[in-house]
Amino acid sequence: MIEMTPAAREQFENYLQRLRNELRGSRSVVADEVEQNVREHIDIALAHAQGPVGATEVIGVLDRLGPPERWLADEDQATTSRGFMDRFVSGPGDWLAYVSFAIFLLAAFFPAIGFFLLIPAMAVSRATVELAQDRGEPLGGRRWLVYPAIAVVLALTAALLILAPPLRIIAALGLDSGGVAEIFGVPENTPGHSRAVLGAGAMVFGSWWIIAAAFCAALLRPIRFVFAPLLEKLRRKHFVVMALFGALIAGGGATLIYFR
Amino acid sequence: MSMPDLSLDNWMTQLRKGLLELAILNTITAAPLYGYDIVRRLSDVDHLVITEGTVYPILSRLKNSGLVETYIEESQEGPARKYYRLTTRGRDELRRMNQHWDSLHQAIGGLRKEGKR
Repeated sequence: MIEMTPAAREQFENYLQRLRNELRGSRSVVADEVEQNVREHIDIALAHAQGPVGATEVIGVLDRLGPPERWLADEDQATTSRGFMDRFVSGPGDWLAYVSFAIFLLAAFFPAIGFFLLIPAMAVSRATVELAQDRGEPLGGRRWLVYPAIAVVLALTAALLILAPPLRIIAALGLDSGGVAEIFGVPENTPGHSRAVLGAGAMVFGSWWIIAAAFCAALLRPIRFVFAPLLEKLRRKHFVVMALFGALIAGGGATLIYFR
Repeated sequence: MSMPDLSLDNWMTQLRKGLLELAILNTITAAPLYGYDIVRRLSDVDHLVITEGTVYPILSRLKNSGLVETYIEESQEGPARKYYRLTTRGRDELRRMNQHWDSLHQAIGGLRKEGKR
């Protein structure tokens, strides 16, 4: 794909959108194929341009291609003057977003099976995002249908990663019951016991967050890919901050135990 | 009720639409061509292609009809190109279309001769 200035890109995308609107629903013409042809046409027509292609050059080629509204023969246009449902189901780029949101709503209304429905909702959302990227088109309003499933799965995964392991460790060591008394030699019902419990918990949480941050930093690319496009701006420095925060909490916990 | 447009422009538009499929199929008879190349060659024919983009939906329709098929080939001059070639069925259909065109052309020629007498 040739490089275009933002203004040229906008002109081109608008043109492709008109093309898709016009051709979708035609039973004899495959809109995606025509769009691919037009993209190839632009690439070849402007292949010898030096640097990013400007709007003037792109508009020149698009003018020669002519308005997509005049492309179809009369018999095609007859099938193109279609109802809402035909337009709705004209291509996966459109209806996948609706499918994703429908599954997401089912998950919200039926909490008993909600967790299992969130996975396909997330998968369909990601497919919609990928499809839009492949076609070089913005998600536009479809982001409101696609993002909720990805955002909820992301929030649940993050909560699980941050809270579940330290809570399990605390339960396993019995830090929430008599464990603190045994480990740190602070009998229950003494003034320092509650501070020791708090300190031990903070140490476990803080230490785990350091480990989790290192784990996530190592797997940064897969994480970004799975939760794209929401985590596109995620960088390793964010996990460094998380690890430092974990160290601060763990250090605070150790201090509490020391001065119990 | 709207009156049919009998202007020369409208007649030429209708004729052009009808002939484009025949022209495209004839363009790729000798050798496979990619879309941009087909458009360029047809644009060289006077009055045949007014808006170049018209060719692409027709190519898609011809492919859906099984008259042409496509394949991708890398290019040293730029991006990979999608080539169009006639299928066996497309070749048979084109032969019949050309015969029909020839007989129509002759018939119109005959009518014109009679008109001149």
